[in-house]
Amino acid sequence: MSDSTLPLGPRKIVGKPVPRPKRGPGVQTYLPEIAKGLAITMRHFFRNTKEMALGQRNDPSLEAIEDGVNTVSYPEQRRPYPYRFRGVHRLTHREDGSPRCVACLCCSTACPSQCIYIEAGEYPEGDPRRGYERFPKRFVIDELRCVFCGFCVEACPCDAIRMDTGMHAAPYDSRDQFIYERDLLMGFPGRDGTYTTQNPRHEPGDPTHPGIDRDHPH
Amino acid sequence: MPTFKLDDREIPFEPGDTIIRAAHRVGIDIPHYCWHPGLSVAANCRMCLVEVEPPPGRPALMLDVLAWDAERGEYVPQKKPKLQPACQLTAADGMVVKSQTSEHVKRARSAVQELLLLNHPVDCPICDQAGECRLQDYWLEHQAHKKRMRDEPVHKPKAVVFGPTIVYDAERCIVCTRCVRVSAELAKDPVLSVRERGNLNEIVVAPGRQLDHKYSLMTEYVCPVGALTAVDFRFKARVWFLRSARTICVGCATGCNSFTDFDPRSQKVFRYRPRENLAVNKYWMCDDGMLDYRRIHENRVLEGRVGGEPTSRDAAITKAAELLTGADPDSVAVLLSAEHSQEDNAALLWLGREVLGASAVYATGRPEGEGDDVLRHVDKNPNQVGLFELVAPGAPGSFTDFVKAVQSGRVRTVVALGSQIPEPDAEAVLASIPVLIALSTHVGPLSTRAKVVLPASSWAEADGTFVNAKGLSQESEQAIRPQGESRPAWRLVADLARALGQAPTWKRTDDVRSTFNGSNASAAMAPSAGVSG
Repeated sequence: MSDSTLPLGPRKIVGKPVPRPKRGPGVQTYLPEIAKGLAITMRHFFRNTKEMALGQRNDPSLEAIEDGVNTVSYPEQRRPYPYRFRGVHRLTHREDGSPRCVACLCCSTACPSQCIYIEAGEYPEGDPRRGYERFPKRFVIDELRCVFCGFCVEACPCDAIRMDTGMHAAPYDSRDQFIYERDLLMGFPGRDGTYTTQNPRHEPGDPTHPGIDRDHPH
Repeated sequence: MPTFKLDDREIPFEPGDTIIRAAHRVGIDIPHYCWHPGLSVAANCRMCLVEVEPPPGRPALMLDVLAWDAERGEYVPQKKPKLQPACQLTAADGMVVKSQTSEHVKRARSAVQELLLLNHPVDCPICDQAGECRLQDYWLEHQAHKKRMRDEPVHKPKAVVFGPTIVYDAERCIVCTRCVRVSAELAKDPVLSVRERGNLNEIVVAPGRQLDHKYSLMTEYVCPVGALTAVDFRFKARVWFLRSARTICVGCATGCNSFTDFDPRSQKVFRYRPRENLAVNKYWMCDDGMLDYRRIHENRVLEGRVGGEPTSRDAAITKAAELLTGADPDSVAVLLSAEHSQEDNAALLWLGREVLGASAVYATGRPEGEGDDVLRHVDKNPNQVGLFELVAPGAPGSFTDFVKAVQSGRVRTVVALGSQIPEPDAEAVLASIPVLIALSTHVGPLSTRAKVVLPASSWAEADGTFVNAKGLSQESEQAIRPQGESRPAWRLVADLARALGQAPTWKRTDDVRSTFNGSNASAAMAPSAGVSG
């Protein structure tokens, strides 16, 4: 019967009645059921103790390294993260140690949780990048707000932000400790231990730049 | 009206119209860089090429070309029609033009786009035009493939300072010469020209000169790419974060239509852009007006003041009501301000006449300044004419009359709108007024000399009506929320009236608007064609 042909009014419910347990002292006091539960717990306890003592069972710490579902004794023992694991962000460096970031705000535009705050600054007078490029005076990521989606890394046109530190956000005891500033983010190396990235663009000041002389434009 | 056919649609045109102008008028955008509705035709970007079918019975003008045949692995001779630039081709009755429907046009646009981007640095992340750049839009729309050239692009000067307002990047420039034409045709100061040829050409300033005429920011505004950037806006914001409100420039009595671009998150205004209105400013604004947005955030009165000491708005209103209670109606005067909207002035006029019983109405405003015969008006107040319409029949007394009335002792209690006075020498006279209550937006002679200052919102923080020098009433939209403790001046007037025990009948902007001239209310916002050009 389709919806339109159903009669108006409350519908009849079709179901199978389940008998309720009969009330008695045993059910009402819960005591037999508690004893049953404790018995199961104790059975497992004694079995585990026996197997551990007699060496009939594998060492859980060795077992953790094997494939499949098993227990990891976390702080002492860590599962290796996969190669493309998205960890805490880092800001990469240029060869001269300055941030690769040009404060274009593409990452904060792409960020779905709006956890990136950038304040752009201009290079000082005399710098070859002055008037042409800018840099992040402040670059703040709220790691508590971040959902680790990796969109910022995808959006970055300069390979300036990466999530290849292999670290996950550490647990802290107050929220402000999750606010990572620029210098901290620049202090994390990648998993390979390096800080710099290659940028195929030739920038003024780079040794690869062909020069922008008016008479020799090539 | 004669018509021609563009992609199977009949387009009406006026005799003398070009194809692109007739299409622009009915809302069809033929892609273009160098054409601008307000400038002469250059036809140098070749983006607007269209295919025109020959008149019946006549052969089409065909060109011999070589096309690559992948199967045979060689170039084979072919014919293709000669395409014509839509910006230069005058429309004729019954003409058949193919734009989007022609394969030849599609290929030509893709090729032109690839050529224009051949030596482009593609530095969109650090380019302020990103987000409103024609190169980005048309690449996606008409090219959408990588360039085939593998050489290092030609490098040209970057960050060349053209003048106090403009910085030029030759690498990003496509040499459409819009900026050259703006300087020559709008500002009548041909200070820019093109140097070199081919992929080496670039825009240069005349030797010994700077780009410093009064419409220099229009060169940046018409630039379809990121070659010209405004010093004022450089590196400040990314345009996709900004929202626009349709506003009226309050820099002078011309009343240019503008967009106020603001960041809704920080409630900060970043720039003005001209808004097309052929009856007022056409497509343009002057530099003074373009940079006038700074006053929205500078030198503001954001809290109440009593005797020069900062206090809350409510305390200031209470104090003002106390001073006004029992004032002799013959000694009370209201000072309207040509700086403020009709709403604010109408409210104050109502307060003066209906609540305080005053008959003396005077007008203040900013002093006169420099003008020209393009857009800039000598009267630097946006609403001078509006005051006369409000007070009619009769006219508000001039500021000189006001000074005389104060000196003679006839006027002893003044409720004033605005912060500036047209005669800077008269500031000492303001100090001699026993009771001066000012509803001010900015720190100025009136707000510093007043006994009580109520913080009024600026034009960007409230809807308002302004009547320009030609008598055209135009509405300006609210962009940002009122800053600090400020409120629109007409709301402050309402609060003051309530404190005096007489509540006004109006509650919303529309109510105030209906109190002054009903015909003005129908002078709706001038139609906007969005981003022009």
